[in-house]
Amino acid sequence: MNEHELEKLAQRLGARAAEQLDVERTAQAVVTRLREAPRVSVVTRLWMQSAWLKVAATVVLLLGTGAVAKALWRPQALAPAGGEAAAAGLNDLSTDQLQQLLEVVDTPADGAAPVYPPDASLDDLTAPQLRELLRSLEG
Amino acid sequence: MPHAEPVAAVPTDAALIAAWQGGDEQAAAELVRRHARALARFLASAGAPDGDLDDLVQETFIRAFRGVDRFRGQCRFRTWLLTIGGNVLKDAARRARRAKVVPLHEELRATDGDPHERAVAGEAEGRLLAGLGRLSRMQREVFLLRAQQGLAYEEIAAALGTSPGAARVHYHHAVKRLKEYLA
Repeated sequence: MNEHELEKLAQRLGARAAEQLDVERTAQAVVTRLREAPRVSVVTRLWMQSAWLKVAATVVLLLGTGAVAKALWRPQALAPAGGEAAAAGLNDLSTDQLQQLLEVVDTPADGAAPVYPPDASLDDLTAPQLRELLRSLEG
Repeated sequence: MPHAEPVAAVPTDAALIAAWQGGDEQAAAELVRRHARALARFLASAGAPDGDLDDLVQETFIRAFRGVDRFRGQCRFRTWLLTIGGNVLKDAARRARRAKVVPLHEELRATDGDPHERAVAGEAEGRLLAGLGRLSRMQREVFLLRAQQGLAYEEIAAALGTSPGAARVHYHHAVKRLKEYLA
């Protein structure tokens, strides 16, 4: 059998089966199934949304855990002068101790400006400034 | 002078696809009417059991319409449809194998098949069908797209994601192996 005969034969393949196909019925069946498709895709979309929410929640949890772990570790490792005071909390410190802490944080390592006036004493700080001070001590 | 009756323009496939994307269900139905038989021939030649042909044709169109946004006109709509049909057939064969419905010969139907079918189709067609079942999927699809659907290598290559040269090589390998089998 040569190539031409093979091609002729191939052109006849499947012709009988294709003739038996009820094209109009197939067209209507396809349209009907397509009409039902949005319901499936809504379900799929909802499933995907919930999956993404789970992923996002996991990422937030991991980041949060990492931030807490870092915060717990840093005061001991990086702030030996103020670490003890930070652990004790601002309310438990004497005025002298707080003054000492203020001097420590008054000269930030990265050169950034302090969040309170440079000549202020602890008594001059407002509640938010004190909270900021405590946060900076805790890392 | 009599006025010529306006001839209703036959919408192109591209126009029907755009209409379907705009929500026109009848455009989808028209595309099915245009291409269902060619698709059925391709699937039957590639090994689809006659009893499953209607389901496979439907499934191919459903996948095509749902994924029509991915059709960028790289080839004709029919060619793209036939390649989707190849994927649908492969998936159906995999499911059937898992369910152990098809006991013989890789993903294709039993090629020593239905005696009635073979009597009708003729011995030579039956043997060609069996021979096609022995080819790799790429060889089989290239052969059918070329020999049965009459497509150019460029068109086949665009549809199957290969080069025209590679399509030509697959075709000649297929022809060589089929000739050996049918000798």
